[in-house]
Amino acid sequence: MRANSLVMESGSEPGTDDAVPPQRPADPPRTPAKRPRRRPPLGLVLLALPAIAFFVVFSYAPMAGLVVAFKDFSISDGVFGSPWSGLDNFRYFFSTGDAPRILANTLFLNTLFLGATLLTGITLAVMLNEIRVKLFKRAIQSVIFFPYFVSPIVISIILQVLLAGVGGSGGAANDLLHVFNLPQVEWYTQPGPWPWILTVVKIWQLGGYLSIIFLAAITAIPEEVYEAGMIDGASRTQMAFRITVPLLRPTAAVLLVLGIGRIFYGDFGTIYAIVGDNGTLFPTTDVIDTYVFRSLRQLGDFGSTAAVGLFQSVVGFVLVVLAVLVQRRYAKESSIL
Amino acid sequence: MSTSTAAGRRTVEPFTVISVICVTVFGLLCLIPFWMIIAGSFTDESKLSVSGYSLFPDPFSLEAYRTIFTGPAVLSAYRASIFITVVGTALSLAATSGISWVIARRLPYISRPLAIFTYIPMLFTGGLVPMYLLVTQYLNLQNSLFAVILPLLVAPFLVFIQVSFFRQLPEEILESARVDGASELRIFFQIGLPLSKPILAVIALFYAVTYWNEWFHALLFISDTEKYPLQLLLQNLISSVTNAATLPQSTAQAAPVYQLRLALTAVTIGPILLAYPFAQRYFVKGLTLGATKG
Repeated sequence: MRANSLVMESGSEPGTDDAVPPQRPADPPRTPAKRPRRRPPLGLVLLALPAIAFFVVFSYAPMAGLVVAFKDFSISDGVFGSPWSGLDNFRYFFSTGDAPRILANTLFLNTLFLGATLLTGITLAVMLNEIRVKLFKRAIQSVIFFPYFVSPIVISIILQVLLAGVGGSGGAANDLLHVFNLPQVEWYTQPGPWPWILTVVKIWQLGGYLSIIFLAAITAIPEEVYEAGMIDGASRTQMAFRITVPLLRPTAAVLLVLGIGRIFYGDFGTIYAIVGDNGTLFPTTDVIDTYVFRSLRQLGDFGSTAAVGLFQSVVGFVLVVLAVLVQRRYAKESSIL
Repeated sequence: MSTSTAAGRRTVEPFTVISVICVTVFGLLCLIPFWMIIAGSFTDESKLSVSGYSLFPDPFSLEAYRTIFTGPAVLSAYRASIFITVVGTALSLAATSGISWVIARRLPYISRPLAIFTYIPMLFTGGLVPMYLLVTQYLNLQNSLFAVILPLLVAPFLVFIQVSFFRQLPEEILESARVDGASELRIFFQIGLPLSKPILAVIALFYAVTYWNEWFHALLFISDTEKYPLQLLLQNLISSVTNAATLPQSTAQAAPVYQLRLALTAVTIGPILLAYPFAQRYFVKGLTLGATKG
């Protein structure tokens, strides 16, 4: 019995680490192979019960609830009592003509966000690394990290202050345009610039956060590498671009791959808080999540809304699995995740 | 710039100068919007209703704050937000620490399945509709603040951060307690938790910020205006400026809508702003956990 459990354990440990990306994959087991006898850990398992109950009710039950996507749902019949309707709900979604637009928007916006925020994060980290005055560096870090903790609602208010001072026109941005003699823009009626505005918002929101992750990866680069560079007469600029940036590639790859895995999930919070029900901006800003939310709220059509959600989850799941598979190749070299 | 003195023996290169400038500019761009909010919240409505913003509280006015703190709406929203944050963080911390400890102990037949069980929800979610039906039809939590707390109770990502911390605790200490006859539960409460204060702070702070900023579940499940948390109250002011006029009508004259929006925003970010200088290093620690030991 005891030997059996030991075999099980040593066999299972690497597997656990593989399945769990946020922890260090190559963590050597702390415990020696030989372990003293252990009493049955039933009391210990009690500790996990609240979280297990949470996952069963709020994660796994809703997965089962996705059968609604295949049903002609009505509240009075309930999830499992409603009649089946096959693929009607899916057919409805793809026949409305909204599908291509929101799918294209979702992919386009998320690609834009991902590329822009990663690039900003790396740039900021490399630049922060150049700053030798500790106090200044720490102060700047604190400042640029702060937007990460602000809710999308507050961001939306800030944007209104900047872009739509009074009744849709005015605002700080227009006053700035006025200084340079440029024409005024009624931002909230122009769908064109919004992908870029949202990208700037994402950079503002996540740039500092990502720079801290990259900066941590930079501090993990051994000092000798830079010393070698210095002996060879490299300037700080050369060291930044020839040593730091290439060595950040594994971290960037992991974040990129994780981001690609999430690319099918729109950033609901930020986009809905900013755009809301402003229909004029939908052509460029409507993504799957905002679409799902709106059709649930306005049409109350549970079946087809769930179908869109299921479609998103399945495609998202495939992407995540692909991403995890690719990530494993990089995880060994990466210093984080 | 002060870099030239600190760089000392090295010569200051153009790249360093460019870096300092760029980073400073980015830092200012992060600060200015908050300054505009705060300055605007103290600026008289007469200026705000013309330009929509203000860089200095020039015609100084406390009108909006007076309206906020005399009307019932904001105070009850504050109460709701504090309840969600405090109760939510406590429950989340307890549930997360419990499951993390069990996963971290590497128990045969238990830890690994539990890790996978926690990992799957990161990959696949039921989405909005089943969640909505669950909360409204099966749990009947509409208009309960627990409808905002419970769906966010355990974040798998934070579980794994905590697991990796727990696994770094020296096994010898736990082992010696075991030899002394302490039960597993007692080891957790009297040795594991006290040794893990840094990670508990990190986890609690991440949850607290999440709960304080949460508005989506409130938007879905709370329709009773008396139970609106701050973020939802603020969200109601976004959809149209005219909505703002209908909100706290405690004073006889028309409420200062623009100023009120900014003041309410300031009040909403206030607690984060105040706690941030103290909490910030914990966030950095949580984010960079495991990254520095490479």
